[in-house]
Amino acid sequence: MPYKLQPAATGLRESMYFPEVLRGIGTVARHFFRNLFFSRDKNPDILARPRDGFGTSDNVTIQYPEERQPYPPGYRGLHRLVPRADGKPRCVACYMCATICPAQCIYIEAGEYEDDPIEKYPVKFVIDELRCIVCGFCVEACPKDAIRMDTGEHTPPSYERSEQIWDEKRLLRGPPVSYHYDPWLRRASTLSPEDVEKARAIARPFPSMATDEASQTPGFSVRALAAEAKARGEGGAA
Amino acid sequence: MKRFFGMTAVLVGLVFVLVGLGAVGYLGMGALGRLFGGGAGDSVGTVLGAALSNIVVITLGLVMTAAALLTVAERKWSALLQNRIGANRIKVFGRFSLGGIPYVLADALKMLTKERVEPTGNTRFIYQLAPVLAFAPVFALVAVVPIGPPIAASSIPLLTGAKELAFQIADPDVGLLFIFAFASLAVYGTALAGWASNNKMALLGGVRASSQMISYEVSLGLGLVGCMIAYETLGLQGIVAAQRPGLLGPIPALGILLQPIGFLVFFTSAFAETKRAPFDLPEGESEIVGYFVEYSGMKFGLMFLSEFVEIVVLSGIVTAVFLGGWHFYFYESWLAQHHPFWFAAIGAGAFLVKMIVLMWLQLVIRWLLPRFRYDQVQKLCWKILLPTALANVFVTGAAVLLDPSLRLLAWIGLAEIVVIGVVTAAAGRAGTAEGHSGATHAEPVSGH
Repeated sequence: MPYKLQPAATGLRESMYFPEVLRGIGTVARHFFRNLFFSRDKNPDILARPRDGFGTSDNVTIQYPEERQPYPPGYRGLHRLVPRADGKPRCVACYMCATICPAQCIYIEAGEYEDDPIEKYPVKFVIDELRCIVCGFCVEACPKDAIRMDTGEHTPPSYERSEQIWDEKRLLRGPPVSYHYDPWLRRASTLSPEDVEKARAIARPFPSMATDEASQTPGFSVRALAAEAKARGEGGAA
Repeated sequence: MKRFFGMTAVLVGLVFVLVGLGAVGYLGMGALGRLFGGGAGDSVGTVLGAALSNIVVITLGLVMTAAALLTVAERKWSALLQNRIGANRIKVFGRFSLGGIPYVLADALKMLTKERVEPTGNTRFIYQLAPVLAFAPVFALVAVVPIGPPIAASSIPLLTGAKELAFQIADPDVGLLFIFAFASLAVYGTALAGWASNNKMALLGGVRASSQMISYEVSLGLGLVGCMIAYETLGLQGIVAAQRPGLLGPIPALGILLQPIGFLVFFTSAFAETKRAPFDLPEGESEIVGYFVEYSGMKFGLMFLSEFVEIVVLSGIVTAVFLGGWHFYFYESWLAQHHPFWFAAIGAGAFLVKMIVLMWLQLVIRWLLPRFRYDQVQKLCWKILLPTALANVFVTGAAVLLDPSLRLLAWIGLAEIVVIGVVTAAAGRAGTAEGHSGATHAEPVSGH
């Protein structure tokens, strides 16, 4: 033996080997029967699960496609184009996001509304999700809060590369967002007057800093986030 | 809690299913005996029919089913004791994973439809023969496992006569010698597989297998000599019958009570014979892959399955010799007198329950212990098991000479069990039961 491989057994019991094996069987059997007889806790917050008590399984598995842990709010997921209250994109085709994108994965063609002499809109807004490096600069650069990465989804997998090229029809989704200063809330639009009133009522002041406030929150805690997700009714039940 | 009651129901149901299997075994004897010999228990035809029924039910119905299910059980049970879930992706009707049991079919399909790859330069005849040689002797061991008690033919439906029929393929007087003979034949399959594959790694695996198995033959045999002395027979049915109730008051003359050391020695050696962890050096998937590295498809499947058949058979032998076989000890004599058929069926069920516990124990140990180093394997055999077994033989012989009623031997056995229990339970370096589940157990033990 060229070098000492293992620490020598100390004490009679370890030298006899069999008693230690019996103790090992005991330890393992405890796990076995707990996992056999008691069901797995499906709380997505693993740390909040009860442990080491009678009636609990030791299993911490999350059965991924069926059960999911909520992502933290700062999570940069799939892009979306934020709609206005009337369903059109907030985007004014200013090319800021396309300019700042380090991967050059955003392609925009600007157009004008016939009835609106002030604002442009994107005739084409295409993101190549295969080139995107998920840095979030586009979200930071947008002056109108028109592009967000708050969907909480991965880019879905596909068999075709072409399916990873997302155009404005697929990108425009999610809840609409309105701000006090939004021009279309102050002049005539396709919306009925009552709907304009409603949109004005939910409008918020524009944030002074980055668009996603939660991602700036210090002291990020999985437990708190899971509790919030549970309160929202997400992720709790499989 | 739903799972708790569900699992309890499943386990209780399993016991009833096993008793039912025992009943099916005896009913099959009745049916085939009637078919071949017209029902009179003493006629040759009836005995032939009963034997045929036993062969079919025990080999196909019990051993092959158990071995196939063990392949799934290995995944699920190892998952349970490692806090995982285990194989559950095959779902019947898209909903029920049924504890992973459908994986048996998927595995069989995979094995049978795989491409058959053969290495160049192999010795073709021996290469093809080796899986059979590995499988057949192990399978032949099933013949002497006494699953059910012998009962008079007249108590089996459709049969008459006083001849005793048992749920067992054959009960030769040389039962234990038969086991040793065929267990040592199994080494040819592995050694030849390693040699015929024209692969250095396979050859290493084959050499390791032969040296390990031949070494452990010795302590395998000596572990049982104590039982032969105590029960004064080699036939397994006789050994089971000798483990009668009422040796020390209510305590029966169980093999594990009379021979705890013999049990440990035999069980360890049997474990080494199955070539599974911690004795899986012939396979050693992380270093040499082993003697079956060049086998693919069902030829590999046969080698793989022979390990599981070996587990089943060794569980059966240990049950018969050390755990009282088909004795269930509650209301046994009353049931044997008044309802001999149900006595036999429940006895067979009890045997199968004990067998399942032992199979579970073997899988647990396989997942508990890391692989031995090669010198540790040989040291454990020649320096620990062999002297222990020899000392056990001398002590047993002396105790039986002094007190042929086996009471002295039982007291010695009880003392041994108490010593082992105290040493196991005593707090040592590893600390209390709470503290020792962590890092201290990951430390390998040397010196053997």
